[in-house]
Amino acid sequence: MIEELKDTFKNFNKKFSKKNTFAEVRADNFEKFTQLGFPSKKLEDWKFSDFNRIILNKLKNININLNQQNEFKFNDYIKEFEHNKIVFFNGFYNKHSLNYENEEKIIFDNLKKGPVYNPQGKNSLNLLNNAFFTDGLLLYVKKGYRCKKPLVIYNIFNTKNDNNFFNQKIIVNVEENSKLDLIICSINLNQTPIFLNTSNFYLVEKTGLLKLFNINELSKKDLNYNFNEINVMENGVFENFVLSYSSAFFKNDIKCCLKEKHSSGFVNGAILANDNLHHEIKTNIEHIGETTKSYQKVKSILSKNSKAIFQGKIFVDSNAQKTDGYQLSKAIILDKDSEFDSKPELEIYADDVKCSHGSTSGSLDEDAIFYLMSRGLNRSDSKKLLIKGFLDDAIETITNLEIKKYFLNKLENKINELS
Amino acid sequence: MLKINKLSASIENKKILNGLSLDIKAGEIHAIMGPNGSGKSTLANVLSGKKGYEVSGNARYLDEDLFKLDIEERAQKGLFLAFQYPLEISGVNTSNFLKTSLNTIRKSNGKKELDALEFLKIVKKKAGELKIDEKILSRQLNVGFSGGEKKKNEILQMSLFEPKMIILDETDSGLDIDALKIVADGVNTLRSKNRSFLIITHYQRLLDYIKPDFVHVLMEGKIAKTGCSELALELEKAGYKTI
Repeated sequence: MIEELKDTFKNFNKKFSKKNTFAEVRADNFEKFTQLGFPSKKLEDWKFSDFNRIILNKLKNININLNQQNEFKFNDYIKEFEHNKIVFFNGFYNKHSLNYENEEKIIFDNLKKGPVYNPQGKNSLNLLNNAFFTDGLLLYVKKGYRCKKPLVIYNIFNTKNDNNFFNQKIIVNVEENSKLDLIICSINLNQTPIFLNTSNFYLVEKTGLLKLFNINELSKKDLNYNFNEINVMENGVFENFVLSYSSAFFKNDIKCCLKEKHSSGFVNGAILANDNLHHEIKTNIEHIGETTKSYQKVKSILSKNSKAIFQGKIFVDSNAQKTDGYQLSKAIILDKDSEFDSKPELEIYADDVKCSHGSTSGSLDEDAIFYLMSRGLNRSDSKKLLIKGFLDDAIETITNLEIKKYFLNKLENKINELS
Repeated sequence: MLKINKLSASIENKKILNGLSLDIKAGEIHAIMGPNGSGKSTLANVLSGKKGYEVSGNARYLDEDLFKLDIEERAQKGLFLAFQYPLEISGVNTSNFLKTSLNTIRKSNGKKELDALEFLKIVKKKAGELKIDEKILSRQLNVGFSGGEKKKNEILQMSLFEPKMIILDETDSGLDIDALKIVADGVNTLRSKNRSFLIITHYQRLLDYIKPDFVHVLMEGKIAKTGCSELALELEKAGYKTI
């Protein structure tokens, strides 16, 4: 696949970069990618997700066709609450409306012309993103401005076979004392399987608040790697929730750095992997500043030959005294064909800290099922009620009530589809 | 109402019930007492359909073969077990659970399902009658409830579902005197000529408030002695050794 990708890249870079000076940077990134290849289970960060094998199994080839024209008529996919929106279609900016906001205070640009980063690090999918990325978003919420309504980034795909590889970046700067609720919603309208590779960067400045939600409505054949790097400054707050129930492969990779004192990061999620899905949430929370706080809760339900993984790390720098870190991962495995892997890690160099982690996995409690059935519910409804209760516990961490309700409904519908 | 004939039950090859027979007619209250390990809870579990027991003998409930009914069918047809240890179900809101259960039971009996408002009106009324704090309705089912609150929640369900055959499995154990009265009031309010009770208890105490028609002593998996309510008093004084 990599040999074919080399040709694809040559054509892509010629066509896409002809008008700008980034061709060389892209080529450097691509060169470094080819040296590393797709990540395989030999790498510690990928030990439970052999992406090299997964992509070969799931997609015969990956292509970019910049000339492909496809029809698109935008629907408001989220009708349950009022929101601002920025729409991307097949990886390119399409339209936006920020009607609820003061448009001098929330400023954005698309990233058709850059920036492209110099190759660094060993995350080959990030290098691949740097080489191939076509468009994305650069967004500023200006100092002191608190957005009135959530902003939804709709990432919509409707493609044909020769255009199934998308690379995007979202870069958001929540400036001092400003606030943004951001939902990234990826939807594939077509049955053509795609590989969506995103690299996102967020900066939460002093006393800023960013609530980031990720809802994945890609199809059951799609692959999605979603990398997020977040830096949080003094008294800043980053809240994240991932609801993951579609895509053959989904890995949400979060590196959250609590850079300055009193900053905090909340990284929570719910995975409902039913029918041959492979979903991973990987977190790396770095406590750098003093008196920083992190909280993680991830709950997973697995059935029908599915696999879920939680790799969660809390790193506490020697200067990060009075750190408060908490991490909990729980999974319920509904049948023998499914698998849950968990790797909680604490790496602590300061001595005055409070850190705890826990991880459990098991099956549904038969006594609880009996209790519910003895109240008239059939076995299937009893199980669904228990599953819903189990996952709702994670959704309860969402502090935006409208979005919480929306996620609860989404999840309930998905649970009702379980057999 | 419920006629049990030569019921035996074993779990992992250990025989717990051993030829138990019992005939409970409509409107009757039967109490079953017995020492630890005599099979009281097993009887409650087997009657309500818990899996894992090897069962022989038969039981007719409302002229049907009880053992041919699934757990939920038994509940829908009016068999109710108040659990000795009600399960804590995290994430499930008590009020939503009660509404779902009640509507499932109503639906299976051809009755109209209640909407949220109708349900709330009824559940608040019942909770008020039983002096149960309404706050438990908005909490997760039994999660963090005190022992007394869990038992009261069972009694609330009992009075809400209005079952025909009610089994109380040591509902009185661990209750203070006020909670005990609430349980007894719940039972006495529901007492009617069309409804029967099987009260499993260790102590005579509960029977001060609920007067049973029959008291049975369960020993080694079968009924060793049957009498009227005075039998319970005798047992309290002399213990089970005299049986």
